[in-house]
Amino acid sequence: MNMFSVVSLYFDPGLGAMIVQAVVAAAAGVLLFSKNAWYKVKLFFGMIKDENDNYDSIDIEEKEDDESSAS
Amino acid sequence: MNPAHPNPHQASFRDPSGYVYDDGGTIRRRIQPIYFKQYQSLTDSGFYKTLISKGLLIPHTETNRTETEITITPEFIPFITYPYEWSFEQLKHAALLTLQIQKYALSKGFILKDASAYNVTFHKGKAVFIDTLSFDFYEEDTPWRAYKQFITHFFGPLVLAKNHGTEMLKMLQTHIDGISVSLISSLLPAKTKLNSTLYTNIHLLAKMENKHSEDYKAETKVAKLSKKAQNNILSLLFNAIKKLEVKGASEWGDYYSKTNYDNASFTAKKELIREWTLPLKPKSLIDIGGNDGTFARTVLDEVDDVLVTDIDYNAVEHNYHQVQKNNEVNMLPFVRDVLQPAPGIGLNNEERFSLLKRLKMFAPDVTFALALIHHVTLSGNVPFAKSAEFFATFSNYLVIEFPKREDSWVTSLLVRKREFINHFDFYNETQFEEGYALYFETLQKQQIEGTHRVLYLLKKK
Repeated sequence: MNMFSVVSLYFDPGLGAMIVQAVVAAAAGVLLFSKNAWYKVKLFFGMIKDENDNYDSIDIEEKEDDESSAS
Repeated sequence: MNPAHPNPHQASFRDPSGYVYDDGGTIRRRIQPIYFKQYQSLTDSGFYKTLISKGLLIPHTETNRTETEITITPEFIPFITYPYEWSFEQLKHAALLTLQIQKYALSKGFILKDASAYNVTFHKGKAVFIDTLSFDFYEEDTPWRAYKQFITHFFGPLVLAKNHGTEMLKMLQTHIDGISVSLISSLLPAKTKLNSTLYTNIHLLAKMENKHSEDYKAETKVAKLSKKAQNNILSLLFNAIKKLEVKGASEWGDYYSKTNYDNASFTAKKELIREWTLPLKPKSLIDIGGNDGTFARTVLDEVDDVLVTDIDYNAVEHNYHQVQKNNEVNMLPFVRDVLQPAPGIGLNNEERFSLLKRLKMFAPDVTFALALIHHVTLSGNVPFAKSAEFFATFSNYLVIEFPKREDSWVTSLLVRKREFINHFDFYNETQFEEGYALYFETLQKQQIEGTHRVLYLLKKK
């Protein structure tokens, strides 16, 4: 029993699902890397148009004061 | 669960961290000592504060604290919708919100310990995370425990809807714990195996789950996963979901262009509705079969909470887009077939409340049923007395539109009955009024000018 996480799991995370994440992450890494590289190439040649979707970014921006209050 | 509390919420028993209960109409959340450390850390680090200030997590206040119990009271949410009542875009936003929160949690040394779609609902026009106790400490190099749940609750259903249409989302009602990965995998076309994101996150996942399903003693060692690797998964899923779109023409999408209204009648109907509704000073209102919310919007500025439900995914989607575009905080669109309202599901049929139960709790001051009764009566074969009974279970005032037999929609519906057309002779104004008189008294009645439609304002007896 892990002492750090005191809340025992109340649903089965699925063993296969835990193992497969290494493969998923590797594939994701390759894809993100190549997308990023392609983006830089397009940027260099001025092929980037403004992306105008109405979705937020996955990253939550924090204000300065939020950061300072974090311990 | 704490037996000391007589009114624990029926959906709150899975997580030992705490439970939700009804304190004389106020929803509160009791935190158990087992979760004190997490709660304190989430509070002290400013984690909750940031998510709340960004509008991503439902705000709460700590209302009681002793050695053995902490109680928090979350902001009141007037009406809870469930994942199987959301449009495609709504489920998509709930999925993106979950990923955003998990990524942020990781950066602060926490994780989302579950990724159930029921952790999210729509409030003030946006998806908001409502399970305040869904967080735990991150342990270095562990994979995301809720990963599979995220796939079965969000990614899988969205990909199914993209491939087979939005009707697939209704499967969430019969799969309360998410659609199993093997089912998702088997339903997807073979070509999806060529897409690396879909292959790894769905097909390979299904394969691995199948392979390890007989590891009864939990002997296989769980692989490690760095934080960076996990962030890659989250970013990839986020980007993939962002791009998902669904095709499909609308049943009612261009409804208003093919109805019986010319512009003048359309305006007349809007004015009449507003004129009758506003003096009632309603705080809450539901428009059943309300399409994209066009008529509910005529009174939106005067009513605190407006629900608009429709059978058609595209109409609800269109409504939801307007909510976002106009930043409407008091309009809540959701998908529902009035002839098939959501049942209570889960343990004791009470884990997720039936639509009727939620409507009774919401107790709308005014109900709209516009351009609906002919479908209910003629397509659904529901007698007037039965539909009146339905509306009477939760409505106080009812604004209902009755299209007469001369109306082209009604004529068309009747003609399609062919040799059974005589069975529908009861469809007329008199019988409509008699049926509804069993439960309602008529306050107003007026024909909408330029149409064969009559508008009624009824009050429950």
